[in-house]
Amino acid sequence: MKRLASVFLVVAVASAHVFAQAGGQGGRGVGGPPTGIPGGAGGGRVGRGGARGGRGGAAFDLTGHWVSIVGEDWRWRSFPARGDYGAVPLNQAARKIADAWDPAKDATAGEGCKAFAAPSVMRIPGRLHISWRDDQTLTIETDAGQQTRLFYFGVPPPGQVEDWQGSSKAEWDLGNAGAGGLFSRGGGPASGPSGSLKVVTTRMKPGYAARNGVPFSASATLTEYFDLVKTKGGVEYLVLTSMLDDAVYLSQPMWTVVHFKKQRDESGFKPVSCSGK
Amino acid sequence: MKRTAFILGTLLAIGAAVGAQIQSGAGPDDTAGLGPVVAGPDLSGSWRPNQLVLESQTAAGDLADFGGIPLNDAARLYALSWPASRQTVRQHQCMGYVTPYFWYAPANYRIWQERDQFTQRLTAWRFYGQVAQGDRTVYMDGRPHPPAYAPHTFGGFSTGTYQGNTLSVTTTHLKRGWIKANGVPQSDAATVEEHYLRHGDVITVLAVIDDPVYLTEPLSKAAMLVRMARDPDAWLYPCDDSEQIFGRKSDVVPNHLFGQNPYAREFADTRKIPLLAALGGAETMYPELVDAVRDPAASERAAKARMMPAGPPAVSRAPDPTPKDGEIHTFRVSGNVHLLAGDGANIAVQVGPQGAFVVDTGAGKLSDKVVAAIAKLSAKPIQFIVNTTFRPDHTGGNAKLQMAGADPSLTGTFFSMQFQGAGQAATIISQLKTQTRMIEQKLPAPPTDTFVEERRRKHYNGEAVEVFPQQNATTDGDSLVHFRRADVIVAGDIFTTTEYPHIDTKNGGSVQGEIRALNFILDRTVYVHDEDGGTLIIPGHGRVTDEWEVAEYRDMVVIVRDRVQALMQSGATLQQVLAARPTADYDVRYGATAGPWTTDMFVEAVYTSLKNPPKTSTGR
Repeated sequence: MKRLASVFLVVAVASAHVFAQAGGQGGRGVGGPPTGIPGGAGGGRVGRGGARGGRGGAAFDLTGHWVSIVGEDWRWRSFPARGDYGAVPLNQAARKIADAWDPAKDATAGEGCKAFAAPSVMRIPGRLHISWRDDQTLTIETDAGQQTRLFYFGVPPPGQVEDWQGSSKAEWDLGNAGAGGLFSRGGGPASGPSGSLKVVTTRMKPGYAARNGVPFSASATLTEYFDLVKTKGGVEYLVLTSMLDDAVYLSQPMWTVVHFKKQRDESGFKPVSCSGK
Repeated sequence: MKRTAFILGTLLAIGAAVGAQIQSGAGPDDTAGLGPVVAGPDLSGSWRPNQLVLESQTAAGDLADFGGIPLNDAARLYALSWPASRQTVRQHQCMGYVTPYFWYAPANYRIWQERDQFTQRLTAWRFYGQVAQGDRTVYMDGRPHPPAYAPHTFGGFSTGTYQGNTLSVTTTHLKRGWIKANGVPQSDAATVEEHYLRHGDVITVLAVIDDPVYLTEPLSKAAMLVRMARDPDAWLYPCDDSEQIFGRKSDVVPNHLFGQNPYAREFADTRKIPLLAALGGAETMYPELVDAVRDPAASERAAKARMMPAGPPAVSRAPDPTPKDGEIHTFRVSGNVHLLAGDGANIAVQVGPQGAFVVDTGAGKLSDKVVAAIAKLSAKPIQFIVNTTFRPDHTGGNAKLQMAGADPSLTGTFFSMQFQGAGQAATIISQLKTQTRMIEQKLPAPPTDTFVEERRRKHYNGEAVEVFPQQNATTDGDSLVHFRRADVIVAGDIFTTTEYPHIDTKNGGSVQGEIRALNFILDRTVYVHDEDGGTLIIPGHGRVTDEWEVAEYRDMVVIVRDRVQALMQSGATLQQVLAARPTADYDVRYGATAGPWTTDMFVEAVYTSLKNPPKTSTGR
């Protein structure tokens, strides 16, 4: 009888645990059409922890129009000046190049877009339009410099031309979900949208990591985390934490953080070419 | 066999149901008062700010660099009036860091969890910062925020919840601090939402500050912390204030008169940046800024216009913390001293084995409820009442509270031989002038026990209680009461958190006496750490504070006095002084254009008492 009771107990505990595991991330469950909305049903589920792909696995909805919030770093972002590098960890080789920064010369040489490359374009005050090109490709269009960034979930298409925006591989990063040991149902919270969009960009055409001529090289790697934050008042912010790693010009990885506020519509989105044409 | 299968099936169903409940988020995690089981991303460890973010979003920055901050006109004037030498004033030397300024110090931080010993639920996050030894607690157990009349601190009162993998923290009860430590103020009405995100060894903190007093729209700003592999060995930051300018009078608070800040252009000119942009405002947060300052002449004109008061007088945008629900709210301030709020002016009550010692009796509209509230605190009768002023909103309950009490110290003494009924009601104590004014104005139940110039003292309920007369402050009959063991000062109308000081020149009030009385309070206060805690102050109106708010109030009165005095010295008439709006940076916090005490009345009182100081006002 005792043995039977212990079997029952084990079965009950195991069934609860298995069910909890199978439930996945609070409603973003198995199957269903890809919706790309927070908490919506989605295909391509990868279970607890790790990374997920595409619109169907979206941890949150970042599509729409966003405007830069320029904070107390306004001086660097709105009025870049030669030699005003702040704490950018540039090495001697980079400083030599940056000290010779001449935007007019860049424009004449047809390189006016160097400052609008992936490592810097998101810090330039402006507006973004984010949309899904298809289920596996997220697009960010900037009005400042009229750039388009393409984030590929999965393998970027072969033969992609190297340009200022490089080649970006994206995945939904679920953070620490999946942590835990015996009897654990995961280290993540019980409910709510969860995770970040992680984007790694390589193969960028050398340009500027900051508008005032701080260079980055062809071997640079840009790692970005996009997070959605919603205030109690319902205002949505897109927070971008990024790290530029460039052994050629930086003495250590350069971390920056910027954020954007969600707009109701496309008002204010005025594309201005970086080429000056 | 059938029976066994049935039991197995039932258990499986129960297990599945429990699992489903857990997954729905409605399970044990949400049990009120316990805190969550899981912590979301673990923020624990030792951290330092990212240097690049720190430098570009620094807490201090250059003088007159207000760009990227949606400050309003009042905040800009406040900041332009602020000289760095303000920090030589004693109470400013060890000022703490407000949230979210907290994360912008170039020093070490530690974050850890508080777990309940028995349930292992996460009850709180703790944030410690080396600079100013800031120590914040973020409660995760669902407790409510304190009432509006509770004291504020630099760290505020914080509660947290999880939104997915984001720790979201709401902070209220902040003190007046810096949005940027070059003079851009954050008011004590501000609330802050912080959102903590972790990516590997980096924490990103997005803070959204909502300040109805000094901001035109919420200010959002991001900080970044980098994990330190080894625990650093530097964690302390001692600060003791002291005299820095020998011989300086106690009524001196360094400030720039409007339009006379010699450093207002320094940052913009040095950096070759348009002054208009450097002066901040919501437009400097958005991409259109560069277009807005493209025309140098127009930009310069607009900038100059922003450096002087303009537009109609503003009114206070800070919510009045006084409850107005027709009930008396009791709040324990310290030791055995309590605040009773809800019937006009604040009432303080000290209780103990001897009885109740009451300071002020409110407006008298809810006196029965006041008596009932005191009875809940003390089974013994009200023995003493002190009136800090004669004003009816402080003395309106005298009659009922007096008759509800008794003073057994008089029964069977020579007093009872001389005065019929001595000891059968509470004894009301005040300055003689208070009694005189009440009799003159036919106010009921005037004090029965008076003093003239020197302190009145009692040892009551095991505590030294001192009553200090203050000459010619808001009237010629103000008093302060200091409960020394609880270390609580009851300030009467000398200090309020809701309006400019009600300086009644017709009844002997004066600006110099008001400043002197505020400094008297500051001479008796001691903080626990970096201008937080220690001696607590119950103001005549508004919320409980410590010395920081008294210092801010004193600074305001001194600065307004300096401006009025400068205008008078240039020959300005009262009307010209009023038109110059010498309170323009403070009106959003204390101002009123209607009601019993308006901004103009205050300015006129300052002007009048400077022109015709009371004869007994000695000045210092």
